Amino acid sequence: MKKTGRALLIAIVLVAAGAPLLAPNPPDRQFTQYLFAPPTHVRLLDGGLTAPYFFPLRIVNRLERRFEEDENRPIPIQWFGNGHLLSVSEGEDAPLLLLGADSYGRDIFSRLLYGARASLGLAALATLAAMIFGAALGGIAGYAGGAIDELFSRLSDFVLVLPATYVVLALRAVMPLVLPAQTVFLLLAGIFALVGWPVVARGVRGIIASEREQEYVAAGRAAGAGSLRLLTKHLLPAAKGYLTTQATLLLPAFILAEATLSYVGLGFPDTVPTWGTMLHDASNVAMLGEAPWMLAPAAAIFLVVLAVNLLVQGSGRSPVQLEP
Amino acid sequence: MARFLLRRLIFAILLIVIVSSGALFLTRLAPGDVTANLGAFAPPEEVARIRARFDLDRSAAAQWGGWALRAIRFDFGDSFLYNRPVGGLIQRAAGNTAVLAVAALSLATLLGIPLGIISGSRRGVAPMLIRGASLVCLSIPPLLTSLLLVFAASRTGWLPAGGMTSVNAVDAGWSSWVLDVVRHLPLPAIALALPIAATFERLQSQSMAETIHQPFVVAALARGVTWRRLVIGHAWRASLRSMCAIYGLAIGALLSGSFVVEYITAWPGLGRLMYEALRARDIYLVAGCSAMGGVFLALGSLVADLLLFAADPRVREGQSA
Amino acid sequence: MKRRLLGSVVTAAILLGGVVFWRSTTAPELVNGVATPAATRGGQLVGSIRAVPRSFNRIVAREQTTELLSFLTQGRLVRINRSTFDLEPWLAESWEASPDGLTFTLHLRPGVTWSDGAPFTSGDVLFTLQAVFDPKSESVVANQLTVAGKPIAATAPDDHTIVLTYPAPSGPGLRLLDALAIMPKHKLEGALAAGTFAKSWDSATPPSDMVGTGPFLLREYIPGQRIVLDRNPRYWRKATDGTQLPYLDRIVLQVVPDQDAELLRLQSGDLDLTQSELRPDDYVAARRAEDQGRLKVLELGVGPDADAFWFRLKAEAWKNDPRFAFVSKPEFRRAISHAVDREAFAENVFLGAGVPIWGPITPGNRIWFSPNVLRYPHDVNKAKEILKGIGLEDRNANGIVEDAGGNEARFTVITQRGIGWYERGTTELRNRLAQVGIALEIAPIDNGALIKRLLSSDYEAIYYRPLLTDLDPAGNMDVWMSSGSGHFWNLPGPKGPGLPVEKPATEWEARIDMLMAEQASTIDPERRKAIFNDVQRIFAENLPALYFVAPRIYYAHNARVRGVTPSVQRPPALWSADTIAVSGAP
Repeated sequence: MKKTGRALLIAIVLVAAGAPLLAPNPPDRQFTQYLFAPPTHVRLLDGGLTAPYFFPLRIVNRLERRFEEDENRPIPIQWFGNGHLLSVSEGEDAPLLLLGADSYGRDIFSRLLYGARASLGLAALATLAAMIFGAALGGIAGYAGGAIDELFSRLSDFVLVLPATYVVLALRAVMPLVLPAQTVFLLLAGIFALVGWPVVARGVRGIIASEREQEYVAAGRAAGAGSLRLLTKHLLPAAKGYLTTQATLLLPAFILAEATLSYVGLGFPDTVPTWGTMLHDASNVAMLGEAPWMLAPAAAIFLVVLAVNLLVQGSGRSPVQLEP
Repeated sequence: MARFLLRRLIFAILLIVIVSSGALFLTRLAPGDVTANLGAFAPPEEVARIRARFDLDRSAAAQWGGWALRAIRFDFGDSFLYNRPVGGLIQRAAGNTAVLAVAALSLATLLGIPLGIISGSRRGVAPMLIRGASLVCLSIPPLLTSLLLVFAASRTGWLPAGGMTSVNAVDAGWSSWVLDVVRHLPLPAIALALPIAATFERLQSQSMAETIHQPFVVAALARGVTWRRLVIGHAWRASLRSMCAIYGLAIGALLSGSFVVEYITAWPGLGRLMYEALRARDIYLVAGCSAMGGVFLALGSLVADLLLFAADPRVREGQSA
Repeated sequence: MKRRLLGSVVTAAILLGGVVFWRSTTAPELVNGVATPAATRGGQLVGSIRAVPRSFNRIVAREQTTELLSFLTQGRLVRINRSTFDLEPWLAESWEASPDGLTFTLHLRPGVTWSDGAPFTSGDVLFTLQAVFDPKSESVVANQLTVAGKPIAATAPDDHTIVLTYPAPSGPGLRLLDALAIMPKHKLEGALAAGTFAKSWDSATPPSDMVGTGPFLLREYIPGQRIVLDRNPRYWRKATDGTQLPYLDRIVLQVVPDQDAELLRLQSGDLDLTQSELRPDDYVAARRAEDQGRLKVLELGVGPDADAFWFRLKAEAWKNDPRFAFVSKPEFRRAISHAVDREAFAENVFLGAGVPIWGPITPGNRIWFSPNVLRYPHDVNKAKEILKGIGLEDRNANGIVEDAGGNEARFTVITQRGIGWYERGTTELRNRLAQVGIALEIAPIDNGALIKRLLSSDYEAIYYRPLLTDLDPAGNMDVWMSSGSGHFWNLPGPKGPGLPVEKPATEWEARIDMLMAEQASTIDPERRKAIFNDVQRIFAENLPALYFVAPRIYYAHNARVRGVTPSVQRPPALWSADTIAVSGAP
């Protein structure tokens, strides 16, 4: 199971990194003739896997979202053309929509891939920040002991008790409601790191505190090593295992937090493709029956969380935070 | 015991005060204030009047002081959005959230613990299936579950697709009101309960598996105690310790209002109220909601500690020393 | 044993999946019975509102829900039928006008009582007018009942006659009274005397205090949840066949905070009526439900309001920005009008549910719409020529035109975020204008910020829907007059003693000022129409704001609801709640 989880996670990260190559269309290109279009029916019959093709869609009734295929004009799909894995040739205006199009005519599949970059990127940045901050503070507290440790424990206990979703919500809601995408990215990374560091710090502190009593530390001190050197070179590496596991747990929690915020409209602006904003587009639940492919980002989030859960199976850690 | 309770009480009060004051200050510092809700065409006199009503023309510290003094007398100020005192609003919302939390927690317990016992104490297909189901439930966050459930409900019409009561419950007596709420409960409760049930199942299973291998179990088997009696009577009790700690966390998290589920299923609870209050910068309502959240959190950790107390004699021994 | 367990689990899963799938495709129970004749008494109707209002007093509050409630619980002297736009007698059953059109004598309907039994008399009308014009009331309808700057005066020779004296000839005449909900003197005179009228009937008032002459009375309300109204047994109106109106026993207005949830509830049968029209995106779900017999979708025709695109035309706000030199020229705006393909706009932005328009008055405003205005056919080359004619050319081949001084035609357009047709509209606009060399950058911001910037003239260009509150142009003087507070493309500065009186910015605006003042004080409707046609013509020539497409309005309600007289104005159905019935009642 661990292997499956790791493989899945690596696959997702690779797909996210390779989004410009794998996505057939740019994520913000609006195909005005294809609003709410269903997924393209790729045909393999005549050409087989090497020369798939599809028929372009013609609008029958926009309001009723009825399309029909123009069977007189098969459009070939190229492998590795124009720098994309799958694409249509340059001149064609009929797009390849593997997962259909949203209300602006944008390719959902491409947005999903680019959205992986945004969501995973944000989560990764926030996790890194939480790791660094948490390890530093936890390490210092664990090493110093005494009053500093006591203060630190009180502080992190307090923050840990608070429900993360609400803290994130409150911190975001008190910022200006409409911000440009880059600002939102940094702001969310900061907020997530702020909420995530105590979890890390607590564990690191525990490990450091117990490691501190070990003989090799006393030996090091006797040899004249300073506290900083002891911390960084010897004690913190002991927490490496814990840190890696914790990192894998924080990642899906942050992805989920971004999805929640964007879903209620407090995350990224709608134009930016992230899994959260795509879910926001799908929030008109009454319409989901007409266009179930809009729930693709839900499936993507599910896969990431599943991968992480598989990975931490049996490592004794409690799986993804209980935060509803 | 008394010392323990006293410490808990002090912790609770501190938590409530810090959380609600923090929320008050945060909202005060936020750009825009409650008068933005009046729309852009509001006359300046009305804007000034509203600002004075919510003490926004005084400094943040003075506002907090006034609010705190009134709060001691259980006067939590007014809400702009609802034009009523905050206390009553919070009471009703907290009640709704509590109903949901109790339902979700019960469901999670009923599902998770027995399944965990089964999967931890046996081998074969059943435990594998249970493990697989747990993994899947853990991986679908309530955001997605509630979306899917609302969609399924609206298509099949089996259950109401949202809200807490339907419209026909206007004149109804108490019993039909209860029935109505019960019909609306499954959707949000399931969405909330599934990940928690899965967590319970996993933990119970692990704990069970560990306990099974303890010497006393082998000894009991040798003595001739039946497997079933052993599992339920002895092994389970010993595995309770780790369960209690998680239970406390679960209670706290649930009672603070599961924001997303309430948002999507339109359950009129504390989470939804807090969100609206934050968006509208309705400052006293935000503070009130946070205070209530703090109360629930403190309650949650208290219950967890008490459970632990009751379940584990080792802890009890330690305390009385 | 294991295999059997696995087998049974799998079978159960398949069965469950099958049942769910089957349920989702089977049409739910159809409404019982064929369409019964409209006169079915009894039953309950569920509508939706966005929030319980902060004030239930229509004289004082501007909220949409307060207006809806005033339709349900209050009466007016005369009513404008929102479907036919005719003036109908209501609490006043007949009237005479003096030859000079300045005095109207209205005869009140006898035997009308308030919902608590107190008799309705002219004293209530006098009281209401007094409350409206009392400065302490801060009334929001005072402006609508003011003619040439002076309030309408009223006297009551007896209990059932009212004589209204207008200070000047008024084009709309008695139609102004449609905005005046008559309030009960016996309940509110205390508040007026004490100066607290502005705060009366707020959300702490017991429902039984809020009496009215409307078809329903307030039974209870819970903030954040619902408002419940019961039939008013003392309602004066009867149907043509003599049945006592209203048909319904009860109306429940559920608070549903957003339109997505509203649609969901409508589909699942939780709601009978919604407070908003269908968005183009939701049409297909509603049609699907109609095919299954659950909903009925009505096409109401073209709506009376449309989205507009305009540049800030306030010279002082541009300061020394050289772009204003060409923005202020009507030719610039005409070129833009040529650059947009309105048919494609309707297709792309409103999914085909729209008609091209060239001015602020749409064909939905049947009485006042003038088709004889200048039209700008889609012609990219013509647009480029016109731009060249005012000195805008692409001199450096970067795709954007600039003037002789090198100032590019590049603008930031603000619009409200989250609204599908604004976002699609601005994208379509940007693409079209890019073809003639004008670069637009779209900046969606939230509504509060947008309105703030609009009011402080802090924008370059804006894409928004300015609401004309009244179909009758005399009710929109604040928009047409240069000094009006709603003259959105060039908002007037602060007014007051010591400050210079602002003059119209352009010659054509001065002409419109004159024409509008004339039509507001002309009584002959034909003459008024002719004058207003002129105004529309001038507008279309000078294009202070550009209009492209007026949306078609669709509305859906539960199939069990009968007797709906839909209106393109809000509230679409409940403005005439007394004739609504439900079949298959209780």
